Amino acid sequence: MSFCAVLFMLLLMGAPSQAGDLEAFPDLNLNDPGAVQEAARVLHEEIKLAARPQTYLLIDLVTSTIHIKGRGVELHRVPIVAWSAKALHNLKGTHRLIVRPPVVRRKIDPTASVEQEPISLADMPVGYTLSFTPALIIDVAPVAGENPFQWLKARGKAWWRSLKDETLSLSTGQSATQGPHLQLEVSAEQAQSLAWSAVDGMALVVRRRADK
Amino acid sequence: MASVPTALSSFILIGLLVADVPLNSQTLFPSSEPFTPSAPTKAGGHHLQTLQAQYKALSEQLSRLKPHQPYILVDTARNHLYVKRRQEIVLDAIASTGSGTILDKPGEGNDQWVFDTPRGEFLVQSKLTHPAWVKPDWAFIEEGQEVPTNQADRVEQGVLGEYALGFGKGYFIHGTLYTRFLGKNVTHGCIRLNDGDLKRVYTFARIGTPIIIF
Repeated sequence: MSFCAVLFMLLLMGAPSQAGDLEAFPDLNLNDPGAVQEAARVLHEEIKLAARPQTYLLIDLVTSTIHIKGRGVELHRVPIVAWSAKALHNLKGTHRLIVRPPVVRRKIDPTASVEQEPISLADMPVGYTLSFTPALIIDVAPVAGENPFQWLKARGKAWWRSLKDETLSLSTGQSATQGPHLQLEVSAEQAQSLAWSAVDGMALVVRRRADK
Repeated sequence: MASVPTALSSFILIGLLVADVPLNSQTLFPSSEPFTPSAPTKAGGHHLQTLQAQYKALSEQLSRLKPHQPYILVDTARNHLYVKRRQEIVLDAIASTGSGTILDKPGEGNDQWVFDTPRGEFLVQSKLTHPAWVKPDWAFIEEGQEVPTNQADRVEQGVLGEYALGFGKGYFIHGTLYTRFLGKNVTHGCIRLNDGDLKRVYTFARIGTPIIIF
């Protein structure tokens, strides 16, 4: 058997597993042009992020998952229970988190005999707003059943923002130019986990559903 | 046994792919303009094939950026340190990471120390055996003590364990006397492990091994 024939057989044996390993979005319907186009757009952004020594976020609205990633590797995953979005067609490229969610840090008092309690995941907020540049707002709220107060607060905030946009639109006679806005419901523990992992300036890419 | 030809063929395949596809996104999509593939047209078949080819080339490109050497992964929220080889977890160790507390710097306005473990990607820069702790100013100030002027008074032996791995700016992966605090955020930014796990990480790590912290 010639070397070429052996090489060809080896290629045939290896190709399926290799293709599987290299697939960035295993859920992707390769026959849906819109979905493939969106996946390619996201990958193009992610390659730029993965080329640098940093962690970044990928919100995948197709699989309802938030991925914390570094070098293209998934470090942690946060399942999204429910989400809604406005003006996602305005999303472009990579967004940077302006400031991470607030956390109350305890101050060490050298004169005190008792040691300060360290912060932990439990100290992180369960409901918060993340603002990005270029403009993108993400409201994170716990699922209604876990924390009804926080859920209502998040809903109220979204309703108020929407009302303000409508009022502005009516008073100026022009349609309000809405920036992209995402509302995510996750479990309280995962909301705290995301708040913990988010750092100032952290990059974010959003993968949209092709039908949205 | 079957993995040998598969691995070999995969290697060859990657070689061929590398030869065939552009090496980076700049080559695929020249200039720094946003990537906007054209909308699907009626000549859909050809367009779809082009999109599929772009998607596959980009997937391969992303895959090549993943660490192909073993690396250390630290989850500061859950206080775990992992040694990973691709997707395989080689070691899962309970750690202690930064407490997130703050301490005022004396006489420097509003300046403060924040005791967080840094996040991002770092490299193992040094490997030490029997490390001594050269106590920084904060170690004295938080205890309400005077900062010594004599450098020798800062050195403390035997508190960092048998080994230490430096990853820059004074941060280390090291051992601890306070093993009861493992699993909690109690450190000043360093990453603590028990003796057994520390030895395994020390043995495994090389200078230049990536450390990804989130």
